[in-house]
Amino acid sequence: RNWDDEEDSDNEVDDTDDVDPEAEYAAWKLRELKRIKRDREAIEQREKELEEVERRKNLTEEERQ
Amino acid sequence: MQHLRNIGQTGEVKRAGVDDVRARIEALWEAMEEEKRQDKKTLGERLEVRAV
Amino acid sequence: MANHRADEKRFLDERGSGGPLAPNGLNPATIMEKPVRERIIDSYFWKDQCFAVNEADIVDRVVTHVKFIGGTYGDAQRPSPFLCLAFKLLQLGPGDDILREYLEYGGEKFKYLRALACFYIRLTRQAKDVYLFLEPYLEDRRKLKQKKRMGTALTYMDQFVDDLLEKDRICATTLWKMPKREVLEDLEVLEARVSPLGDIEDLLESDPELVNENG
Repeated sequence: RNWDDEEDSDNEVDDTDDVDPEAEYAAWKLRELKRIKRDREAIEQREKELEEVERRKNLTEEERQ
Repeated sequence: MQHLRNIGQTGEVKRAGVDDVRARIEALWEAMEEEKRQDKKTLGERLEVRAV
Repeated sequence: MANHRADEKRFLDERGSGGPLAPNGLNPATIMEKPVRERIIDSYFWKDQCFAVNEADIVDRVVTHVKFIGGTYGDAQRPSPFLCLAFKLLQLGPGDDILREYLEYGGEKFKYLRALACFYIRLTRQAKDVYLFLEPYLEDRRKLKQKKRMGTALTYMDQFVDDLLEKDRICATTLWKMPKREVLEDLEVLEARVSPLGDIEDLLESDPELVNENG
């Protein structure tokens, strides 16, 4: 069966679940928190950019120079 | 060969519905569980033999 | 239509023309890139395991043969069984009811079946449905093997789903450019996502170090 003949390299990685449920939950929680943080920062960044655009729009011709 | 039976002479294969998919999931799961039970049993038997 | 063609010939002939489009408006026959499609239909796995396969047989093939997620790998850039079966799904075009079965009932039991359905949904569904179908599995922490071009790595279902929502390219396939979640929220297409961890403000107050850990 030549589609799964490279077993050797696969064996280094073990995808068995629930070996240590508490550690697995903690690792997930950290990943989820990082995602939340990333998404929050992206939204803050976008808001900042919109504010900047708004600010520039409101500048008078004089202030712009 | 199962797939040759499936397609007959038409070169077509019958579309499966949700029920077919559900039944297949259950059959595969059951087969896997049965295999696990067998493995445990043989392990148990081996241990018994060793204990004697 | 009660039947599928057993092989891919008609599917591929429909590339330019009259074949049915995916719900997101893309032509399923061209979602994967041409060299990748060619490698798939040349592969032994495709010829041996993906001929005359229907929506139920897909489950069987995943359970028996899919031991990792991935695109093409090795010097020969061989397509993974995962990728071949995703291509088969593009040919079969399963409806949402079947996909839900793969994701939920089947996905609880067989994690690689859920991963495959998530990948296929990302390729073919409208943005709103991609978010709605996939986001619940940001909570699924089961491990997945992922074969990269060189070597195998460990990932997780939640990580894979996040990659599908965030990245441009995964499993040798360029993902169509989906509107960001926040854009759909502004349009009131989607409601804000609530993390299973609850309110982020509460979390930050109770445990700020956790969030800042490892940058």
